[in-house]
Amino acid sequence: MWHIAKRELYDNLNSLRFALATVLLLGLMLTNAAVYLHEHPKRIQKYNASINEALTGVTTRAESLYTLAQEGPGLLYKKPSTLRFCAEGGEPFLPNVVGGTFLWSSSGGLKGFWRLNYPSTSPNLTDIRPNVTKVDWAFIIGYVLSLIAILFTFDAVSGERERGTLRLMLANPIPRHTVLIGKLLGALISVSIPFALAVLMNLLVISTSSTVQLGADAWGRLGIIFFIALLYASLFLALGLLVSARVSRSAVSLVILLLIWVTFVVFVPSTLASIAGGFSSPMSTDELWQRRGELYAKRWERYDAYFAERVERSKEIQFKGEHVIAEAEEQERVNEEHLAQQIAQVKFARGTTRVSPIAISQHLFESFAGTGFERHLQFLENARTHARQFRKFIADTDSGDPESSHIIGIREGMSEKPVNPAAVPKFEDMLNLSRDFNAALMDLLLLVLLFVVLLSGAYLAFVRVEV
Amino acid sequence: MLTLIRRELLDNLMTFRFAAAVFIMLLLVVANTVVLIKDYERRLVDYNTAVKTHHQQLQDKKTYSAGRLHVDRPPNPLSIFNIGMDKQLGNQVEVYFGFVPTLWDAKMHGSDNPIMNIFSSIDIAFIFKVVLSLLALIFAYDTLAGEREQGTLRLVLTHPVRRGHILFAKYMSAMVCLLVPLFMSVSLAVILLTTSTSISLSTDDFLRIVGFILTTIVYLSVFYLIGMLISAVTRRTGTALMLSMFVWGFWVLIYPNMVLASILPQRTVEARTASTFSQIEQLWEEFEKEQEQYLKNDAVPGENPGFGIGWVGSSMNRLNKDAATLQYYYKKGMDISELDERSEPLMPHVQSYYQFLVPLTIDMADRTWLIRKPALEKIFVHPARIDRILLKVSPIGMYDAATQAWVGTDLLGIRDFFRAARQYRRVFINFFYDKNAFAARQWIAADKGAADWRTLPQFSFQRSGIGINVKRAFPDLCLLLITNVVLFVVIFLIFIKSEV
Repeated sequence: MWHIAKRELYDNLNSLRFALATVLLLGLMLTNAAVYLHEHPKRIQKYNASINEALTGVTTRAESLYTLAQEGPGLLYKKPSTLRFCAEGGEPFLPNVVGGTFLWSSSGGLKGFWRLNYPSTSPNLTDIRPNVTKVDWAFIIGYVLSLIAILFTFDAVSGERERGTLRLMLANPIPRHTVLIGKLLGALISVSIPFALAVLMNLLVISTSSTVQLGADAWGRLGIIFFIALLYASLFLALGLLVSARVSRSAVSLVILLLIWVTFVVFVPSTLASIAGGFSSPMSTDELWQRRGELYAKRWERYDAYFAERVERSKEIQFKGEHVIAEAEEQERVNEEHLAQQIAQVKFARGTTRVSPIAISQHLFESFAGTGFERHLQFLENARTHARQFRKFIADTDSGDPESSHIIGIREGMSEKPVNPAAVPKFEDMLNLSRDFNAALMDLLLLVLLFVVLLSGAYLAFVRVEV
Repeated sequence: MLTLIRRELLDNLMTFRFAAAVFIMLLLVVANTVVLIKDYERRLVDYNTAVKTHHQQLQDKKTYSAGRLHVDRPPNPLSIFNIGMDKQLGNQVEVYFGFVPTLWDAKMHGSDNPIMNIFSSIDIAFIFKVVLSLLALIFAYDTLAGEREQGTLRLVLTHPVRRGHILFAKYMSAMVCLLVPLFMSVSLAVILLTTSTSISLSTDDFLRIVGFILTTIVYLSVFYLIGMLISAVTRRTGTALMLSMFVWGFWVLIYPNMVLASILPQRTVEARTASTFSQIEQLWEEFEKEQEQYLKNDAVPGENPGFGIGWVGSSMNRLNKDAATLQYYYKKGMDISELDERSEPLMPHVQSYYQFLVPLTIDMADRTWLIRKPALEKIFVHPARIDRILLKVSPIGMYDAATQAWVGTDLLGIRDFFRAARQYRRVFINFFYDKNAFAARQWIAADKGAADWRTLPQFSFQRSGIGINVKRAFPDLCLLLITNVVLFVVIFLIFIKSEV
C-alpha cells in the first residue's frame, strides 16, 4: 500500500498541477495574512475603546444605585475573535453589540426601567466598493482546496486505464482495496504538501507580527481546523476516485466532477438557504414596533385606571414599582420573541445547507475560529447571563441598604446610595472550547459519514471495474 | 466551410457534456430565478409600505418648517439578472431644504431579518459567470489538442481547406452549442419574470435584457477562446484540461478576491476628510454668526431665537453632523399648535426671523454642497473606481461591469436616484418659494390654518433610459470584444505555424 502511495506521490510531485496548486495556495494564504494583519489591530482597538466607554458610563451612573439600575450596565460588546482569518463567518452582517434601553414614560414623572434590547446590524451603507467574498481560510479550503482535490484524482483510475498501466498494476498480487487506499493516501499527501506549506507561511507571517498574539488555545483550534481541512479534502479525493472508477474516460470524469463541484460547492449553499429562508417569515420590524406600542399603551391604561381612584401613598409606590418592572419585562419578552423568530429562520436555513459538504465545513471552521452565527448565539447567551447577574447585583445591593424600602423600579422605593463601580459585574464575552466541540460534533460526524459513504462507493466501483 | 461547421456541430451536440451543460444550467437558473423573484417581491412590498408611510408622515405635518420628506428608491426588477449594488446601498433618503442629500446620507428601509444576509445571494449573471465560463472551457480544451492526439487534424488538413477556416468553423459550432443552454435558460427566466404579477417589464427592459444576453455571448466567447488558446499550445488533452481548470479557477475564484483584498485604503484619505470637514464647519460658524447678528439688530431686544413667546407644540433645533461622511446641517423648525394670546404681537417678528433664516440656510446648504461634492468624489468614489478598474483585468470583471450597466444596478445607476433626490429638493424649495411659505404663518404655527401640502409634486424616480444604459455598458462591451479579437488573432497565428 505504501508502495502505491509513494508511487502516486512521486507522480504528482513532478506534475504541472502540483506546481500550480502550490502557487495558488501560497498566494491566497499570504493575501489572507496581509489583510488580517491590516484589519485586526483596528478591530481590537475599536473594541477596547468601546469597552472603556461602557465602563466610564457605569462609573458615572454608579453615583446612585437607582440611576444604575434604571439606566443599566451600558452596551455589551462582542469580543472580536483572534482567529477571524480562518473564517469570516458573515461577521459584518451580525450585530456586535447588545444594548439596553428604557422608555421615557409620558406622564407621572415615571421613568421606564432598563431592559435588554437587540439592535439589528446597521450594514455599512456607504461602502460603494464592489463586493466580493472575503479570502479567509474557509474560502481557500472550501473552494480552492476542493477544486484542487478534484483535479488531483479525476484521472486516478480512468487515466491509468487509458494508459494501460492499471492492467499492469492489477496483474501483481495486490488486493484492489489496497490499490484504492494507496491512491487515496498518495493523493492526500500530495494535496496536503502545498496546503501545509501555505498554512505554515500564513501562520508564520501572522505570528511574527507584534500586533497579534496567538495563545495555546488558538494554536489548538488551528490544529483542529487543519485536520478538518484535510478531512474535507479527502472527501473530494474520494469523490474523485469514485467518479474516476465509474467512468471510462478521464475527460468525462472531470466534466462530471466539475459539474458536481459547481452544484454542491458554489450553488447549493446559497440557493438552498434562500429557498429555506422563504418558508418562514419572522415578525417584521413594523410588526415588532406595533406590538411594542400596543403593550405599552395597554400597560399605561391599567396605570391610569388604577390612579383614577384614590389610593394610599405606600401602596402607590408599590404599584408604580410593579408597573415599571412589568413594563420592562413585557418589552423585553417581545424583543426576545422577535429575535428568537429571526434566529429560528436562520437556523433552519443553515440546517438545510448541510446537504453540501462546503456548508458543513464552513460551520466547523466558524465554530472553531469563534466567529459566525453559532458564536453570535453564544454571545447573546453571555449577554443574557450578564443581564441576570446585573439584576441580581442590583437586588442584593438594594437589600443591603436599610434606608431603602426595597421596591425596585422607582426612585422613591430604592436605595440611592453610591455604588462602588468596581463591584458592578463586568461583562466579558468569553469563548468556550468545550461548547464549540459539542456544537461541532454533529457537523464533524456528518463530514466523516459523508467521507465513509463516498469511500465505500469508490471501493465498490473500483472492485467491479473491468480493466 | 459549411461542411466543417456541420461536422463540428454534430460532434458537439451529441456529447455527454452538452446534455449535462443544458441540464445544470436550466436547473440552476430556474431555481435561482424563483428565489430572486420572491426576494424582489418582498423588497417591492417594503418599498410600497415605506412610500405610503412617508407620504402620511408629510401629510401629518402641520407647519412647513416641520415638513421633511423621505424619498424611496424602488427595487430594480432587472436586479434579478445582476443584483449589483441594488440591495447593498441605502434605499431611502431625506429631502430637506437645508441639506443636499447624497448616497452617503441614505438609510435602509425594510429587511425583516437582517441576519439572513450571512447567506450570499446568487443572481443570473453569477450563474453565467461561473457555470457558462466553465462549460466554455470544457468545450474548448480538446478542440485542437484532441484532434491532434487522435490524428484527425492531419486528416482534415490534407484536404484543401485553409487553416483559418478550420479554426473559424470550430469556433462557430462551439458557440452555437453554448448558446443553446444560454438561450433556453434566459427565456425560461424571462417567462418566469413575465408570469409574476408584481413585475411589469417595459420595452426598454426587454432591450436591456437583449443587451445582457449580447454581453453574455461575448463573454462566453472570451472563455471559449482562452480554452482554444490553451488547446493550441499544448500537445496533450490532459494538460490542456488541467491548465484550463487552473486558469478558470484563477480568473473566477481567485483574482477578484485577491486583488480587492490586497488594496489597502490610503491614509491620505483621513487627512483629506478632516480638512474638508473643518472647512464645512467654518462655513456653518459663519452662518451662526450671521444669525446672531440678525437677532441682535432686529426690533426685539435680546438674542433669544425663541423671542420669548408662549406656545404649546414642538420645536426642533438639532445639529446633524458626521465627520466620516462630511455631513453637517441644522434642522430648525417649529410646530406651534396653540399660541399664548399675549405673544400674538411678537409673531410678525418671529415670522420675519424665519423669512431671513430659511433662505440663508438654503444658501448655506448649497455652498456646503460645493465643498462636499468634490471631497466625496475624491474620498469614496475614486477608490471604488480604481477597484473596479483593477477587477476589469479579468474577463469576469468586464462582464460584471457591463451587465450591471445594462440592467442599471451599477454605482452610476444607483447614484441616478440620488441625483433625482437632489433635483426633487429643488422642486421642494420652489414649492416653498411659490407659496411664499417662509414668510407665512404656517411656517411655524398651525393655530390658524395648517400647512397645505397638496400642490407639492410627488417624487418619482425613473430609471435612466436605454440610451444611457448602452452608453455605460459600451466601454466594457468593447473591452470584451477587443479581448476576443486579440485572442482569436493569437490563436490563428499559433495554429498557422504549428506542426500537425
